[in-house]
Amino acid sequence: MSATEDGLGEVRSGMRAFIEDNFLYLDPDADLADGQDLLAAGIVDSLGFVELVEEVESRYGVGVQDIEITEENFGSIDSIVRYVERKRAES
Amino acid sequence: MCGIAGIVRADPAHSVEEVALLRMARAIRHRGPDGFGLCLDPGAGLVSTRLAIVDLEHGWQPLVSSADGSVLVYNGEVYNHPELRTSMRSLGVEFSTQSDTEVVLSLLQRDGLAGLHRLNGQFAFAWWQPQRHRLTLARDRFGVRPLCYSCLEDGSLVFGSEAKALFASGEVRPSVDLAGIDQVFTLWAPQAPRTAFEGIQQLEPGGLLVWERGEVVEHRRWWKPGPDRHEAIDPDLGGLLRDSIRLRLRADVPVGAYLSGGLDSSLISALAQVQKRGALSTFSVAFEDPRYDERAHQEMVARAIGTSHHVVEVGSAEIAAVFPEVIRHAETPLVRTAPVPLFLLAREVRDRGLKVVATGEGADELFWGYDLFKEVAIRKLHQSDPGRALKLLGKLYPHLGSAGARRGPGWARFLLETGAVDDPLSSHLTRVGATGAVRAFYRDDVAAGLGPETALAPIRDGLPPGFGAWDELERAAWLEVTTLLEPYLLAAQGDRVAMAHGVEARYPFLDHRVYAHSVALPGEEKLSDVSDKIALRKLANDLLPAEIAERAKQPYRAPEVTPFFSPGSPGWVEDALSPAALTDVGIWDSRRVEGLLRRCRSSRATGVREGMALIGILSTQLWHEAFFASGGPYPAETAAPQVRIDRTVEQALGEVS
Repeated sequence: MSATEDGLGEVRSGMRAFIEDNFLYLDPDADLADGQDLLAAGIVDSLGFVELVEEVESRYGVGVQDIEITEENFGSIDSIVRYVERKRAES
Repeated sequence: MCGIAGIVRADPAHSVEEVALLRMARAIRHRGPDGFGLCLDPGAGLVSTRLAIVDLEHGWQPLVSSADGSVLVYNGEVYNHPELRTSMRSLGVEFSTQSDTEVVLSLLQRDGLAGLHRLNGQFAFAWWQPQRHRLTLARDRFGVRPLCYSCLEDGSLVFGSEAKALFASGEVRPSVDLAGIDQVFTLWAPQAPRTAFEGIQQLEPGGLLVWERGEVVEHRRWWKPGPDRHEAIDPDLGGLLRDSIRLRLRADVPVGAYLSGGLDSSLISALAQVQKRGALSTFSVAFEDPRYDERAHQEMVARAIGTSHHVVEVGSAEIAAVFPEVIRHAETPLVRTAPVPLFLLAREVRDRGLKVVATGEGADELFWGYDLFKEVAIRKLHQSDPGRALKLLGKLYPHLGSAGARRGPGWARFLLETGAVDDPLSSHLTRVGATGAVRAFYRDDVAAGLGPETALAPIRDGLPPGFGAWDELERAAWLEVTTLLEPYLLAAQGDRVAMAHGVEARYPFLDHRVYAHSVALPGEEKLSDVSDKIALRKLANDLLPAEIAERAKQPYRAPEVTPFFSPGSPGWVEDALSPAALTDVGIWDSRRVEGLLRRCRSSRATGVREGMALIGILSTQLWHEAFFASGGPYPAETAAPQVRIDRTVEQALGEVS
């Protein structure tokens, strides 16, 4: 496993833990897939979506532009991992 | 003033025990700390605890009619009693006291229930007519004063100002009404006739119930909110408000005022100060947390109108310390801590030697002051001009455009798109949706019996004819009066927290003449774009500093999570929310609650919905503790009664003229 993949694994597990702790506590037995659409599944609402963005910023030191707050970037664990990977590559 | 309670039996030979009445009196003695009285008739017992405000020497209850032997226990004030007395005197009726109680009893005896329409005031009473073995319960138009009752299997009826009087009777056991609780977590309060207790009903505001020989023979609203084609409308709002305040300053004890620093209470205080010629005392809540605090505006008004001003500063520690006591008085779970500072304020009023305060409730409902009305108007505009609607939304909630910029779009969608526009309840579905977040914490077996419409169905069934064709804002105002003002603001946040300390709150905006004026007032004199309460602001221009007359409403709120999750928070919080305690009460899913508590402990629970969830869950646990785990036994009153009537059948019936 490369250093980058290892780092992304941490993002994946970190975001999963964050979502489970903060949004999925109402459904403790839910099985959250990495590719699951968080909004469509009702796991995160539009306000929770912003909380998710703020968590990515503070946890990974990523500066998120308002224009980047889209479902494409934050709609699932997979998409968040891809987004963080891209932002890290840009910096 | 006062608390009332009693028991009536289907069979006159089935007596009511005096000790049961003494327990009931003790349970509601906080409502009437100045003394009590009771009446024992064959098959009936009535009790009154008194907060002496009018005719301090002679106004004791129960009061017996010399004309027909009927008996009245009465909680409240009828402000126009001198005019009614004069009018009845001219018809030959004689009076032996100066109390409003005697006027009400004489009016009932003379005109029957039709006389209710002549009363201007806030009251709940029980009128016992032994010759017909009939008990009549009635409540004022807006339900300022509470009254609940329970019909027993043997035909008996037990009633009281508060449910705890019913439990103290020994005839009624507390039982959870999940549907009543579900209304709290949908609309903030149980909606009459429901309460949070199964088998206990509250009489509807403006309601009356007639029980005769074991059966309810009549149950209806003698007054309903909404447009009234029969009501004469006085077009002079300033004159009406001045007269309403003149009537509400009538008392044989000093009357003070609550002053929040907003337009409504400032206007009431200013008008009262003019009538009291500078002798008014005002009382305010100030918060340690500047996000909730309005003291600068309160002080500005107090200085400008020259009142003797008193402030109670409230922080997290004070809220947590008395929260269980507030729940015991409210007798229902809550979703807000906002009643708590008002409980502390009433205590201050009482400690300062006052028993009566005028306050500004009702203005936001009558003159469309709440943001809810602006949201309705903006939602309506959004259908034809979305760009302007979004601009107005930014003007209404500017904080969403700066620090909370990212939350803005989410909130905008939430506010603009919640619920179907053609739903008659559309104005309130945003609140229903946000409050409903608490329901997500129900145990699965509890949730299974409570659908999303369980709490709303009775509201839909009770809408006035043609409601769907009303203007959206008129509909919103009607719903706000009937689903929030009456069940919550005047109850848990009104009567219960004030009367906990024997303090009577009076509401000049809720004079029925002011209400009729407001309903008839064209919408543009209430709300235009995001400018609200336009007619009231015009009046305020001459009486208050411009900054107050033009001030935007600051929603009254109190801290919700921090009182219970800060260093130094009381240990009982974690105990009440422990998995064992949650399982014991059986309403909340402990695993889901644990997730919320994690967020509370880590200071992440900053959202409105999480605050409501925490308060909802915690207050349910405390409510259960107060009434189910340690509710009894209820001790009996030991002081001697000021009035004690004990009649035989012959005596009760023999006084018929």
